[in-house]
Amino acid sequence: MKYPIHFFVNDEAMDLEVEANKTMLNVLRDQLCMTGTKEGCGAGECGACTVIVDGKPINACLVLAPEMDGMHITTIEGIAKDGELSPLQKAFVSHSALQCGFCTPGFVMSGTALLMENPHPTRPEIIRAISGNLCRCTGYIRIIEAIEEVANQYKGGE
Amino acid sequence: MKAFDYLRPTSLEEAIAMRIKYGDKAVILNGGTDRVIQLRERLIAPDYVIDIKHIPDLNEIKFSKQEGLVIGACVNMNTIGENPDVIKFYPYLAEAALSVGSKQVRNRATCAGNIINASPLCDTGTPLYVADAKIGMVGQNGYREVPITEFITFVRRTVLQPDEIVTCIKVPYYEGSKGIFTKIARRKEVDLSTICGTVLKRGDEYKLAFGAVAPTPVRLKKTEELLKGKKLDEAIIEEAAALAQTEVSPISDVRASKQYRLDVVAVIVRRSLKQMMEEG
Repeated sequence: MKYPIHFFVNDEAMDLEVEANKTMLNVLRDQLCMTGTKEGCGAGECGACTVIVDGKPINACLVLAPEMDGMHITTIEGIAKDGELSPLQKAFVSHSALQCGFCTPGFVMSGTALLMENPHPTRPEIIRAISGNLCRCTGYIRIIEAIEEVANQYKGGE
Repeated sequence: MKAFDYLRPTSLEEAIAMRIKYGDKAVILNGGTDRVIQLRERLIAPDYVIDIKHIPDLNEIKFSKQEGLVIGACVNMNTIGENPDVIKFYPYLAEAALSVGSKQVRNRATCAGNIINASPLCDTGTPLYVADAKIGMVGQNGYREVPITEFITFVRRTVLQPDEIVTCIKVPYYEGSKGIFTKIARRKEVDLSTICGTVLKRGDEYKLAFGAVAPTPVRLKKTEELLKGKKLDEAIIEEAAALAQTEVSPISDVRASKQYRLDVVAVIVRRSLKQMMEEG
């Protein structure tokens, strides 16, 4: 049986028919061909599938497709605006905060969600906020530094 | 995942009717952080999945000194851990809620789900055990409340009946009670408890509960009896730590050995009581 759902992805309204035994991750990747969101563990351990729903980061692999009805979803494809990378994406590039890149969309989403909630997080807050994302090649230092750079921007009312 | 029908009731009556109609062919879906994995791994293969998140009453969290804390079944862990009343009056529960999984998981996972799963190591179990929390549920015969210590009966077993749905968790308020939650895990974040425990001081009484040391979370009644009305000193704390070890029955598993768990139970009792002694 197919379920009609209405939702927003990156501010664009969508009407789709989905199967109940698929996840949000399957819908994004296979039905919408938005393959920036990755599947790592499929069990909520690695954070590669992190998306932002109604302002909060969640694992797209743990949401059933029909549950997407009514959600406002932001994926990695919606972070750059008008062809320009976001400040956090630029910081990831300038800090070389990636190696193979598979975990990067998830880290950018967790970092973006953190900065939306708390524009000037401390280093411990940054570390805690990305603890649900695993990187198996670069390590975390450069990722933390990239987020920290953006956190330190715009301070003092600039 | 096997194919199933997705059902989305918008009232408790509707949800209970579905429970009765489909019986053991249906499962409840709440935050989904365990359920979706069970479906994907085919540990369960229901014909119907009943998503209860669109039932309005289940999404509320409220506090008053008369009624205590009432956590709706669909309230997620971050909402609990960041709630000002929970932080002020039940800080040990806030800490436990924020120790579950990752930020992403906590934005979906619920306290009710954590309890209904009835894992021996559920992180929010021991704070609720020491606080004498009750589980509220509704079925075809109406509403009932069961103390959490009686709700969980064994590993992954509860008294919840096939027609029932947990609606809330009620945590009574006691003036001036103070609790300490401790979680020991292999890594600081995003891990299951190797052992968890909560020690609560209420008036001249102490309440102790531990997780991952028995088939269910357990209250240490003998240790509580020993400490009742006593002024804390080094000797009584040592006696309590030793007695606590006799009230648990841990096993060795992938996370730790039986002996490690026994040792750490004593450590948690000792550290928590010492902190309470020092803070008066």
